[in-house]
Amino acid sequence: MTAASAPAPPRPLPATRRPGFAAARLLRLELRHNAMPWMLPVAVALFWLTTYRKTMAMPPLWNLRAAGMQSGVVVAFVCPVAGAAAWMGSREARRRTADLVTITAQSRWARQLATWAATTGWAMVGYLGCVGVLYGVTAQQAAWGGPLWWPAAVGAASLPVMSALGFAAGALVPSRFTAPLVAIAAFFALVLSTELIHGSQSYWQVSPVVTGPWDTGPDAGVATFYPYLPDLPIAQVMFLIGLTIAVLGALALPRGSGGRSLRAAAAAITGAGLVAAGTAVGLAGTGKLDDHGMIAIPALHNAASDRPIRFTPVCSHTAIPVCLNPAYASYLAPTAAALKPVLTEIAGLPGAPARVSQGAATYEQGAGNGVGIGLAGPTTSGTPPVYHMLLPDQQLGPTLTTSEFASEVRSTIGPDIVANVIGDGPGASQAQHAVAAALMMAAGLPVHGPAPRTAVTANSLLEPGTPAFAAAQRFAALPAPARHAWLMRHLAELRAGQITLAQLP
Amino acid sequence: MTAEGVRETPAAAARAGRPLWAGMRLVRLYAASRRVPVALAAIAACAIGLRITLMGHWDTYGAFQLPLLIEAGAAVAITATAASPLGEPERITGRWLPFLRLATALALTVVAAGALAAAGAGAHLAGGTLDVVRNLAGLTGIGLLCAAALGGGLAWVGPTGYLAVGAYGLYTQWHHPALTTPWIWPARPPHDLGAAICAGLVFAFGLAVITTRGARDPAGE
Repeated sequence: MTAASAPAPPRPLPATRRPGFAAARLLRLELRHNAMPWMLPVAVALFWLTTYRKTMAMPPLWNLRAAGMQSGVVVAFVCPVAGAAAWMGSREARRRTADLVTITAQSRWARQLATWAATTGWAMVGYLGCVGVLYGVTAQQAAWGGPLWWPAAVGAASLPVMSALGFAAGALVPSRFTAPLVAIAAFFALVLSTELIHGSQSYWQVSPVVTGPWDTGPDAGVATFYPYLPDLPIAQVMFLIGLTIAVLGALALPRGSGGRSLRAAAAAITGAGLVAAGTAVGLAGTGKLDDHGMIAIPALHNAASDRPIRFTPVCSHTAIPVCLNPAYASYLAPTAAALKPVLTEIAGLPGAPARVSQGAATYEQGAGNGVGIGLAGPTTSGTPPVYHMLLPDQQLGPTLTTSEFASEVRSTIGPDIVANVIGDGPGASQAQHAVAAALMMAAGLPVHGPAPRTAVTANSLLEPGTPAFAAAQRFAALPAPARHAWLMRHLAELRAGQITLAQLP
Repeated sequence: MTAEGVRETPAAAARAGRPLWAGMRLVRLYAASRRVPVALAAIAACAIGLRITLMGHWDTYGAFQLPLLIEAGAAVAITATAASPLGEPERITGRWLPFLRLATALALTVVAAGALAAAGAGAHLAGGTLDVVRNLAGLTGIGLLCAAALGGGLAWVGPTGYLAVGAYGLYTQWHHPALTTPWIWPARPPHDLGAAICAGLVFAFGLAVITTRGARDPAGE
């Protein structure tokens, strides 16, 4: 036996040859030499300017802030993440090391996946930090409820796909122009794709910036009386994961990315990703606005989500208690203060509500992206009667300041409560109009209208100089006990339309 | 650049000895090294894209944000030309470099402004030509400053980041409180003097910095 033919003793594999260890080492190297950490300050600054400030200016409601966060954070991160990924994807061509790394043990696909994973990992660190701060501050301020995780999941699922698309573009077209143009194209696709949404049955709702009926914006009325519907977020996450898998699989398809079996597996992965993404788009197109203001997708819908949430309302200590959903506890003081004069005027009268209670809103899809919002159920119900109302913030429109909110409550809900008690309405008598206007004047509610000193009640408009206006002024000028005593005696007749103006004191 | 690229015939060498020919050749080589033809193609694509999109129907957000996106696209194409593939040797030997940098950035900005304005002519371009010129100049200035600070390859970070800021500024015009600082010039009306001054200052500063210092050349790039 010669030395050449003698069997060599088996030599243990070096530690670096173990696949898991090698992958971890490669990932560590990529994490250390990645452009994304340098982009994080830009992403965080954009998040602070465009999302955090705006979201923190909203009332401390989880539904509002989580929805605002989802839309904002995706837009804030898209340019830095897609651009950095494209920059990293073009690295081998930019540094002219393509030939050098071709001879390494790892396949090109494995190297690319490691670079993509490192880029995405850094982006995820920044994202989680931003969301953590926003949710942490909200947790300290919110009076009721808990964090909504689906919006955070959609945002998190958006980062890998941004990164994958940017990386693929950089790898396929390595040029100094690729990264900036990818960043701008990604911003364009994300922000302006929503222009194509018409109504709640739109395929474009699969875009991760969409959190509900488009054009209504974050709405305080959803996900407080009924659970947050995960239907649309599930479709969005499915789409984003499917697209990520498809793009990453497609990276291995070009010749030279790996062996034949690897490319076949990558083709299968790409196909599966495309099927998942396509299915999600199809599901999003079957969504429709449900009664509670969210997008329901029949194939993903859980009927348990239609049951109202149980809660113990928070109530004021006014003459007639004002009770709100505990999520809106911060609204209680301004609402009670705004309604207190009216409630003092009508407290104890026959037919006056025993409680003023916040009701749930009901939603209806209008033409195009229009959405109609109304009170679910009757205004007054039960024995003793309970008056139900929608707070101004439950309706569409800009978020109001505290003074704007109080003014809105005083000028809309106050007159409506008075009209409800007096029976003032379109067919009511002149005496009912006059008494309703008088109670508003006595309660200090704004008496306004097109002409000077025109009294506008919930259902009538009294012009100065008319007998009804004079009667209203006369009745309002009575001392409160006298006014109250007269109403106690005559309210039933007044509501029946049996009192004339001349009979008013 | 390979040796093949600089091989010349005797006639060409004789022409190169003349100052005008030498100057033209220098400009051509500089433009080729900075990928100026690709930048011009990108600017042309932006102008064509703007024209095509203006044919569509956009809501108010889209009508204002779309031109800004395309202006940002043109601006990053201009600033991408700041990167030098030659690095230190060129800095040492090229005494005409500052002038070439200035002329390239200025010429590309003028071409881009002209192309985008022409693309918007006769169509409903929200903000009009003044808006295009102001936003393009400001975004280009940011990009040139980023090229000097981060390197030509990463010059896009500033304009694309500012694009998100500008788009948000436009959004706040409908969702108060509005951002009214002139430093967020895309959100200001086209005739706003403060916004024009801010954008102009950024452009002038960016031009001055890129002219005198050039783009930073990070090691290994």
